[in-house]
Amino acid sequence: MKLENRKYIIILFILIVGVLYSSRLFYMQVIDDTWVLRAQEIAEKRKEILPPRAVVFDRNGRKIVSNKTYYNLMFIEDNITQLDTVAFGKLINWKPLEVRERFKEIKEGEGVYFNKSNGKKTSNYQTQRAYPFLKELTLDEITTIALHLDNFPGFYEEVTSMRSYPYSNGANILGYLNEVSREEIEEDRFYRPGGNIGRSGIERFYEKELRGRKGIKYVVTSAMNNAIESYANGKYDTIAKQSPGLTLSMDITLQAYGELLMQNKKGCIVAIEPKTGEILTMVSAPTFDPNLLVGRKNINLNYPKLSKDINKPLFPRPLQAEYPPGSIFKLVQALIAMQEGVIRSTSGFPCNKSVVGCHDHPNAAGVAQAVQYSCNPYFYAVVKKIIQQQKKRNNFADAEIGLNLWHKYMNSFGLGNKLDTDISGQRPGLIPNSKYYDRIYGHNQWAFSTIRSISIGQGEIKLTPLQMANIAAIIANKGWYITPHFVKSIGKKGPLPIYLKRNQTMVDAVHFSSVIEGMRRVINEPGGTGSAARLEEVVVCGKTGTVQNSQGQDHSVFIAFAPMDNPKIALAIFVENAGAGGAWAAPIASLIIEKYLFNKVTNKDSEKLIIETTLSNIRRP
Amino acid sequence: MRKSDSIITNIDWPLFVSFIILIIFGMATIYSVAFNEDHPAIFALSEKYGKQLLWLGISFFAGLLIFLIDADIYRKVAFPVYLVTLILLVIVLFMPPINGARAWLGVGSMGVQPAEFAKIATALLLSKYISELVVKLQTTKTVLLACLIFFIPSILVAMQPDAGTLVVFSSFLFVMYREGLTFDPIILGVLNSIPGIKFKSTWLGSHFIPVLFCFLFLCVLTLVLSNTSFHPWFFPNTTFKGPTGIIISLFIFSLLALLFIRQFSVKRDRSRILLVIALGFIITSGITLFVSTAFSSLAKHQRDRIELVLGLKEDPDGRDYNRNRAMAAVGSGGAFGKGYKEASVSSLKSNHVPESETDFIFCPYAEEWGFLGSILLVFIYIFMLMRIIYIAERQRLAFNRIYAYCVAMILFYHFAINIGMNIGFAPVIGIPLPFFSYGGSSILSFCIMIFILLKLDSQRKDML
Repeated sequence: MKLENRKYIIILFILIVGVLYSSRLFYMQVIDDTWVLRAQEIAEKRKEILPPRAVVFDRNGRKIVSNKTYYNLMFIEDNITQLDTVAFGKLINWKPLEVRERFKEIKEGEGVYFNKSNGKKTSNYQTQRAYPFLKELTLDEITTIALHLDNFPGFYEEVTSMRSYPYSNGANILGYLNEVSREEIEEDRFYRPGGNIGRSGIERFYEKELRGRKGIKYVVTSAMNNAIESYANGKYDTIAKQSPGLTLSMDITLQAYGELLMQNKKGCIVAIEPKTGEILTMVSAPTFDPNLLVGRKNINLNYPKLSKDINKPLFPRPLQAEYPPGSIFKLVQALIAMQEGVIRSTSGFPCNKSVVGCHDHPNAAGVAQAVQYSCNPYFYAVVKKIIQQQKKRNNFADAEIGLNLWHKYMNSFGLGNKLDTDISGQRPGLIPNSKYYDRIYGHNQWAFSTIRSISIGQGEIKLTPLQMANIAAIIANKGWYITPHFVKSIGKKGPLPIYLKRNQTMVDAVHFSSVIEGMRRVINEPGGTGSAARLEEVVVCGKTGTVQNSQGQDHSVFIAFAPMDNPKIALAIFVENAGAGGAWAAPIASLIIEKYLFNKVTNKDSEKLIIETTLSNIRRP
Repeated sequence: MRKSDSIITNIDWPLFVSFIILIIFGMATIYSVAFNEDHPAIFALSEKYGKQLLWLGISFFAGLLIFLIDADIYRKVAFPVYLVTLILLVIVLFMPPINGARAWLGVGSMGVQPAEFAKIATALLLSKYISELVVKLQTTKTVLLACLIFFIPSILVAMQPDAGTLVVFSSFLFVMYREGLTFDPIILGVLNSIPGIKFKSTWLGSHFIPVLFCFLFLCVLTLVLSNTSFHPWFFPNTTFKGPTGIIISLFIFSLLALLFIRQFSVKRDRSRILLVIALGFIITSGITLFVSTAFSSLAKHQRDRIELVLGLKEDPDGRDYNRNRAMAAVGSGGAFGKGYKEASVSSLKSNHVPESETDFIFCPYAEEWGFLGSILLVFIYIFMLMRIIYIAERQRLAFNRIYAYCVAMILFYHFAINIGMNIGFAPVIGIPLPFFSYGGSSILSFCIMIFILLKLDSQRKDML
């Protein structure tokens, strides 16, 4: 071979390298994604910016839930150089041992988690990542610390915001925030460890409307983990956006007044604007200051106390307590009977005390009078006519048909099933149907005589106070209701669509006048059981109830609406172990109605008495 | 005046233009990588781009001088220059170390690295020595003497230590190969001592250098692939071990070569070529099998060590940090790159890739310009190397030819190793990318190297 030809060997070598490198570059840069992902891992950081949570207003535009600025003391382990735990402990008023313990706690608590997919404990703690060493410091606390932070590289302050409740009322409506759980983080990518989520009440139901839109900032970080510039000049960044506030239908002054009246008592006040279904106030007594459950520190301190309190302040009674309604239930019975045509508004039944006990009053010659006197035997007769319509020969089979029909009517009044209120976790109450009694007595083993106590709202019947208030609203509206709800408007968009929809009951409007007349008499005619609810300027219609309670004193219940023409407020008052409905519930109702309609209180004595009374069932630990 | 006319008309424009393009690309990349908003001017001497520009100015001034001086001088000064360089390489060993290596003469940014210039000096002396041999590199004495010329500086460089430049010195072996280097004296000495055998020359002896490199390459490839397995598209549901894959590909290549030969060779040669291909296949397969079995029979800790050296062990944040970051930067460039000054992994500011303005400068370039830019750069380098070999072969003077080959092989080594370590094909040994990397000594020495070549080439017709 000529020497000159050796150049071909050399050229071959060069070309092989050229081809090899070109194909390798093609593979790395065009085909394989691995390195793109690796580069993102290395150099790009996604920074999430949480907007402040939306504020909440009451129906008159008063800010009832807002945000307050707090500070976290953050640290990045990689940036810490030789931490003097003694000096640092002194700065934050901790012992050196506590400082070390806290570091351990963060590493284990926030860093290690159980990986479901492979069943291993994975350490998520990263030394170049920021973690809060102290959380929720006030401005005063952080200023004393921040002054000396220069001596402790790796530590810095970070601004956060937490809820603040200027009015300290309506705790059970508003709910509270708490740290998200692992499951919630896995379910919704919005949340990050240490973040907050609405735990109850409005905060929970409207979580998505309140949390706002997260801003995302892509930054290029250096090997030292410092952000050096925004990625691609911020082309992919999004701005954090706070949601427009929620406007509640609640009137915070009425709510505060209701809570004042109900202090040292157990029970509920639920007031609804009948035309809109807006809940004006919902008092659950006893209650608590919502500021007690703001932030991790407070929750850790106060939640155990509140949940152990024997008076159960955390229990939202208006939504979750199921009480027998007592005599207020008679209103619905009369309406169903008239609609079914088994009685007419003028039908009379004798007050036959041999069937069931009653107080002394003239025989009722019509629905209005029966309501006025709250005549037990009358409603026995009425409900018997509904249940036993003689559609079948067999008395038991006939009762089954009648009861299921009655049950359907009750459902149309929002009874026996959950109302779609915008606070979750409410109870449906109990309206029995044939299956229910079949389970107890056996099929065809029961008839009206077996179940007659349902006539007067006792026995198996159970309603929540919200459902009771809704009955008042339905009667005020003469036959329809809008599902009671707490949020009047999301931003400026109005309420959720379901809160614009009228729900028609199965009873026609014509049948309501006699019942309403009866309710008027209850309050405004001499000898009416609800005279304590009478007001000078306005005609109040109502119905008292006394719920027999085998465990103690009877419960006092009262539902009402006012004014009689063009009703503006419908409400239910339930006071546990307070005796007759007229004694406690009715005067409270009158104060609430007057306060709401005229923003004044005429009967100062009654108000004083109610506020100062502590009912015996409130126990102090 | 006549002289400068002649240099302009006689200069090899393709080489000069590709050289200038690389200089411009390199300068632009340094400007992007080291960009400092406080001193945005490219002349800002406080910044790396300003300094690089200054060094480029010095380089082109040197180029001007080279163009003005008669090319004859290089043969004459080759030996003194070589001696001076050796002295500098010795002196530098007594300087205070910078980054663990005693490589710098002088201080600060104006310091120089004699090792960079040692390459030119060695190239010149080697060219002079070989070109003046009456008999080419056939005798043991001449081969040893030629080797000594680059052994001495490479040993001095190794003492700095500077592994990169040491490796580059082995590029001269290819130059010697082109000039007829044969290992026959040794091989024949062994072979002919066997009674009854009398060879005049062996194929292995004359092509010892490329064979040696093929052998080394095959060994490394076998080791690299020894732990891998792959599913070939032509045999779904089967898995091959890496070495098996190599043997299969060798077999396919052999078959292709056979077909090729059938088309283009003279009938008379066919059986001989067939034998060569068959032997080649058997030998290479044998080497592959031997290396892979030998490797797997090694003790665990020995295997681990080899794997670490070859970068087979995944250790992205430890030993493999540099290469892992570099590959992330290159790979994330994508098809069209992130755009000029948009390198997020390899800019000096983000500093994920260390030395991204010097040894790893291919990273920011590839990250910014993507595959399009990378392939263009590879193409320019390959074109340049081809052009230099073309220039070499058209020289009438052996000195010029040998020098041109020296330049080609030095550039080829730098190119192959530097880009290779950016894409995971070569171990990380710090050598600059010619005309690209930041650094006064390297840019100056590469420029001088090219300018001398251009000057020699421009005067090729003056001779005789």
